[in-house]
Amino acid sequence: MSNFLKKMSKFDNFLTIDEVADILKISTKTLRRWDESHKLLADRSNGGRLMYSLNSLKNFLTDDLFWRSKIWAATGSEPAKETLYCQNRAIFEARNAAMEKLLQKRIGEIYSIISSSAGEIGNNSFDHNLGKWSDIPGLYFDYDFTKGQIALADRGQGILKTLEYILPNLSNHKEALYIAFTEIITGRAPEKRGNGLKYVRRNVEKGYFDLTFQTGDAKIVLKANEIFSDKNIQKTNIAIPGCLAFIEFKTNF
Amino acid sequence: MKIHLKKFNTSLSSREAGKSDYKDILPLLNTLKSDENIEIDFEGLSSFSPSWGDEFLTPLLNKYGNRLVLLSTKNLSVNATIELLEDIHSLKFKRKNNFLLNLKL
Repeated sequence: MSNFLKKMSKFDNFLTIDEVADILKISTKTLRRWDESHKLLADRSNGGRLMYSLNSLKNFLTDDLFWRSKIWAATGSEPAKETLYCQNRAIFEARNAAMEKLLQKRIGEIYSIISSSAGEIGNNSFDHNLGKWSDIPGLYFDYDFTKGQIALADRGQGILKTLEYILPNLSNHKEALYIAFTEIITGRAPEKRGNGLKYVRRNVEKGYFDLTFQTGDAKIVLKANEIFSDKNIQKTNIAIPGCLAFIEFKTNF
Repeated sequence: MKIHLKKFNTSLSSREAGKSDYKDILPLLNTLKSDENIEIDFEGLSSFSPSWGDEFLTPLLNKYGNRLVLLSTKNLSVNATIELLEDIHSLKFKRKNNFLLNLKL
């Protein structure tokens, strides 16, 4: 188990019954019935509230690309398919190139913006985390062109820890996320980096896709054509050690 | 001298690859005449990213200035990347219309 998870209390990364009802698009009444029948068993908080671990929801979210990747990012559990896991950069780049060819046929000239954005996010994971992974090295990379969705997740050290090397006064994940998406940070010797997420943000602002990006307990939700500001950053209830990106694009450009 | 980027790869993505490809091109640049330009041809590329571009194009611009000329392209990722690199480094790449590209239209 990673240090990240060891520091957390038992219910830190659990979901409430209302949250699960919202994710599964069913009623809390159904969830209570499923708990009684053991179809989906909940844990109990000290106050007796029903609480759900991400792993307990795994079998109910098999069609949900975002949650599948989030479960992997938060728990490091086995991916649904071994091929979704890219152990090293070469595997990721080969899969991204294959995705690019399929995208080109599907959505025309926008394909290069989508695949280069996915490439920047995926390569960031390797550039920032080699030798520093939280536990599992590599990247979770999944896509579904029918829905126009791409998910990339890593179990690295996250943006806050990466930026702390050069900005030691950063206090939380929200602040780190804002800086990563907005500021051009120079003098990061010996490493040169920091343009990738700005590129991704610009492409969202130009209207090519929607983006959800999480690191630690903070996430950005930015819709196509929306101009990014700190208002786009929210705190999440399910924290992850590394980063998770979810891209949604129109399949009928 | 014209450098066809597709000869490196059709998808140019990581810093690691950009850095390595820049080193590989250095011996060829030693043969450049003092009044000769370097033209960068993006024709045949599928995708192009700021990470690769920053490791390859930025040092070329720093070294050769206006002798580095980027041929125009309709590839969206190339144009978005060049725009970002120009903003980040507060610099301007010299561009040249790619007549061959226009003839194909």
